[in-house]
Amino acid sequence: MIELVKVNKTFDDGHKVLKNINIFIDKGEFVFLVGPSGSGKSTLIKLLLKEVEPTNGKIVIDGKNTTKLKRNDIPYLRRSMGVVFQDFRLLQDKTVYENVAFAMEIVEAQPRDIRKQVPIALSMVGLSKKSNLYPKQLSGGEQQRVSLARAMVNGPSILVADEPTGNLDPEMSRDIVKILYEFNQRGTTVLMATHDRDIVNAMKKRVIAIEDGVMVRDEKRGGYFDEA
Amino acid sequence: MKLRTTKYFIKEGTSNLRRNKVMSVASITSVIAALLVIGIFFIVVLNVDYAASALESQVEISVHLVNGLSEGIINAMSGEIEAIEGVKEVVFVSKDVALKNMKQKLGDKGYLLDGLESDNPLPDTFVVTLTNPQKASSVALALNSMSSIEKVSYGKDELEKLLKATYVLRMTSLLIITILLFISIFIISNTIKLTVFARRREIGIMKFIGATDWFVRGPFIVEGILLGVTGAVVSTALLGGGYLYTVNLIQKQMLGFLALSFMPFGSIITSLAFLLVFVGIVIGAIGSLLSVRRFIKV
Repeated sequence: MIELVKVNKTFDDGHKVLKNINIFIDKGEFVFLVGPSGSGKSTLIKLLLKEVEPTNGKIVIDGKNTTKLKRNDIPYLRRSMGVVFQDFRLLQDKTVYENVAFAMEIVEAQPRDIRKQVPIALSMVGLSKKSNLYPKQLSGGEQQRVSLARAMVNGPSILVADEPTGNLDPEMSRDIVKILYEFNQRGTTVLMATHDRDIVNAMKKRVIAIEDGVMVRDEKRGGYFDEA
Repeated sequence: MKLRTTKYFIKEGTSNLRRNKVMSVASITSVIAALLVIGIFFIVVLNVDYAASALESQVEISVHLVNGLSEGIINAMSGEIEAIEGVKEVVFVSKDVALKNMKQKLGDKGYLLDGLESDNPLPDTFVVTLTNPQKASSVALALNSMSSIEKVSYGKDELEKLLKATYVLRMTSLLIITILLFISIFIISNTIKLTVFARRREIGIMKFIGATDWFVRGPFIVEGILLGVTGAVVSTALLGGGYLYTVNLIQKQMLGFLALSFMPFGSIITSLAFLLVFVGIVIGAIGSLLSVRRFIKV
């Protein structure tokens, strides 16, 4: 599903962010990507989204070698992945419903499919009753749930979350991870970058740890630290 | 492209304009100014062309004959000239008639020519009109090869001067129009850059949830085209009104004879409207494409 082969990324200033990364994530897995700030987690996510290009190495997503993708095909790669960020990235002048519907409008979905799918996505994240509110009327946890609904509404096979609980208190964080877990149970491959050790330790899922751009650990049922 | 996508583009594009009212009005005004100048040059060039072709169609060749030809020879020559290809009509003007005509033209000052009747310096002349002004030189060549002819003249120099002036005018207009087009594109692109900048976050979000570049550009292109077309419509109206007013003014004044060579309003307004609206669409689209370019690369 997601495969990185000998991936290196060096920034223009010579800083080596990622060194010889090899990762294989199978369909339906739930994987935590852990490591301190600046370890290269976010860059790895950007590589998957093709926001940045690897200096060398190969990235295969859903059977497609994305390093050979043409610029015009990038949108279609991104449509196969749902993405969630720490800062939610919602459109402030659109309601909850409109924010989720927007993701379908962009892929030129049929209006009747939009009317059908958006309420389903909102009920999956428990926001059916707040669909007419604006993002600033919601708590941080609720906003992140809107962004989860938006990420999933087009039914992607992969969900990538970059520090989705970074701005949230522990209780809200647990809600978000619970929703991610439910998506995973329905067959979605989930990759979540985080440095929230409580969540990682509680979930007992596969953990990939990166430090200073080097992959230092890959455990099937790991914790945040080796000893955990 | 799907209809509802087009609808979405138009909805977003118009709301961009409204959100950015002051800048939109300012840039429409600048576009109007640029298109006005472009339109004026266009009108001038069209009218000069029109006058030139009117003049071309009036080309006549006058054939001066040597002195003292008999009536028989003149009749024979007339027949011979009529037989030349491209000749429509041949009119003989005797030297006496030519002198009378000249006196008439001079009016009060006709007395200046008194006494010339006995020693008329004017030649007998054939005035040859043509089926097609482009045949002027070939007909003139054929006439030159005939005997008993002193001089063949057909205003060649005047015609060439006019054509040359038209050419210079056209090139100058082209240059100025090109410069103004660039300025208008710059103005529109600057206005849209403000919208793009205000919505850069939104563009980023659209891009990472999988919007294509064209989907992101759509509303901005609509915005640019609306700016350009609004400017075009207003400047067409202004130029049309101005043209009518000016032509009327000239016709009312003693300058009446000038107005004869003006293009009729109906034919000028259509081509002007088409040109300016087309230019408006093009500069609007290019202007917006330029301003989105930088932000779309995510």
